[in-house]
Amino acid sequence: MWTGELKVRRVEGEISTDDIIPARYKHRFTDPALMAPHVFENRLPGLAATFRPGDALVSRDIFGIGSSREQAVSALLAAGVRLVVAPEFGRIFYRNCWNLGLPAVEAAVEAAVETEKSALPAEGARVALDLTRGRLTGPGVSVPFRPPAPMMIEMVRAGGLLPLVFARTRPPAAAQAHQDVEPSQTTPVGPQGR
Amino acid sequence: MRPDSPLVGQIIAAHGGGAAAAGELVSVEVDRIYLQDGNSPTVARLFAEYGVDRVADPDRVAFVFDHSVIVPDRDMADRVREATAFAKRIGARIYPRGAGISHVIALEEGWYQPGSIVLGSDSHTCTGGAVQSLALGMGASDIAAAMVTGQTWLKVPETVWLRVHGQGHPALRPKDVVLEVLRVFGQRPFLYKSVEWTGDWAASLSLDSAASVASMGVELGAKCVFLPDAPGRGDGLVPIRPPAGAAVLELSIEGLRPRIAMPHSPRNSVDIDLAAGERIDYVFLGSCTNGRLEDIAEAARIVRDRSVHPDVHFLVTPGSSRVYAEALRLGYLETLTRAGALVTPAGCGACVGTQGTVPAAGERVLSTMNRNFRGRMGNPDADIYLSSPLVAASAALIGRIPSADELVCHVDR
Repeated sequence: MWTGELKVRRVEGEISTDDIIPARYKHRFTDPALMAPHVFENRLPGLAATFRPGDALVSRDIFGIGSSREQAVSALLAAGVRLVVAPEFGRIFYRNCWNLGLPAVEAAVEAAVETEKSALPAEGARVALDLTRGRLTGPGVSVPFRPPAPMMIEMVRAGGLLPLVFARTRPPAAAQAHQDVEPSQTTPVGPQGR
Repeated sequence: MRPDSPLVGQIIAAHGGGAAAAGELVSVEVDRIYLQDGNSPTVARLFAEYGVDRVADPDRVAFVFDHSVIVPDRDMADRVREATAFAKRIGARIYPRGAGISHVIALEEGWYQPGSIVLGSDSHTCTGGAVQSLALGMGASDIAAAMVTGQTWLKVPETVWLRVHGQGHPALRPKDVVLEVLRVFGQRPFLYKSVEWTGDWAASLSLDSAASVASMGVELGAKCVFLPDAPGRGDGLVPIRPPAGAAVLELSIEGLRPRIAMPHSPRNSVDIDLAAGERIDYVFLGSCTNGRLEDIAEAARIVRDRSVHPDVHFLVTPGSSRVYAEALRLGYLETLTRAGALVTPAGCGACVGTQGTVPAAGERVLSTMNRNFRGRMGNPDADIYLSSPLVAASAALIGRIPSADELVCHVDR
């Protein structure tokens, strides 16, 4: 899980997974690095080239509606995105995010401006995420959200669903490559399924 | 199953999830898993990356090749080959290119048993709600995990009931009603929820129409949908009765006319007369929402002894090889072909831009599919409108969106 600084990248309007990665790329490639240059190419041409590791997508509208393509998440990760914040998400996209170790935080960004006397996170603003306490903070920014279930945090820390599930079914050497935290072998884990 | 308690809770309880309340996380047994070709190559890659080569039960896993039927690209061809080899290696059943769309096949093959839990690597897996299967679209990692463990994790959703009543315009079709639901309520009341359709309208639908309505559950933002028991829907279904005090959304369709979803969202629909006259260059009839026999029969009835407008590219893609063969036997495909339509092999067709026909820049497409997001059919500079097959076939004849009055004469044919 990303522990460095996060940089706000604002995205406006309802975003579908077709917007994030057009279908033909998932039919052509399985390597997310080959899809990363194409994220948002129809909706926001040129944006992909500006992504850097540690970027945090912040939206005021529903994010990730439509197709089940997990490649929408893996391509964003490969492009450098390490956090997605929106008031609500398409159900499958949300689940895919946590499954691949990308925190997707449901936060009413705009409401926070009123209640927290905080500013709307501006493009380029540096913010920090506290998943356990449920808060996104930065200079003048304070956005509260309901903390995800502990097992979801555990999953994100482990690098996603499969490192946890497959850790039980394969040799430890192979497991090591896909996790930076040793998962619990006994706790049932899974996405906050939606 | 009992008719007066949320179906999703009953199905989860019967699959080892216990009597969980809405919002709880549960682990459940999965009855069946199917994959489509946009994600099966990625699932194959995940198995290889994690050094896994076995699935819990290959007999419960099927691979469908529906998005890349006539493969237009060498990278895509390589992915199809990889996914096919992977399916063979794990011993799963393969439905090759031309067999049809996974969700259409799933209904034909009886994968969606009432009360079952089915996972599909495609968002329109919710189609299984037509026959009361808890059918869930999921991404590659969820599918891979379920293939290996035979289980998945769910958050028990809340249920919302939706009752449609009234008598619509003679040309009103189920697709129009779903578009109207989206326009009136938006996604918010349905997001992450289980939606149960109740009332006489939902119980009056044919199986093909029920599947069409269920397929668009994901467009509502729902986790799953359920339609009530009705003639022709098979055995083991129950009526749907909202419990006393339940939240029931009511929608009157009294006098409602066909609808057109304007670019670039299915939420963005208008009365047909507000769009009437818009030039249409390309009509696509097909998809998991409107590619069944009933849809093709209606289109054939409209174009019989007529000609497709010379400026219109009219593409017809049956939803499965079974639909194709039946439409052939009944003469529908001959009628469509003689009128000037281009009939393709079964599959997802042009819905998602992975195979032809990709529209040109500036072209206006009227499609019977379920979503018209910008770039959906492979070109962000084309405008995609959505409608029922009745409206689409009519538009193919005149090269523009018809008015409601123009449709009435077609209805009486």
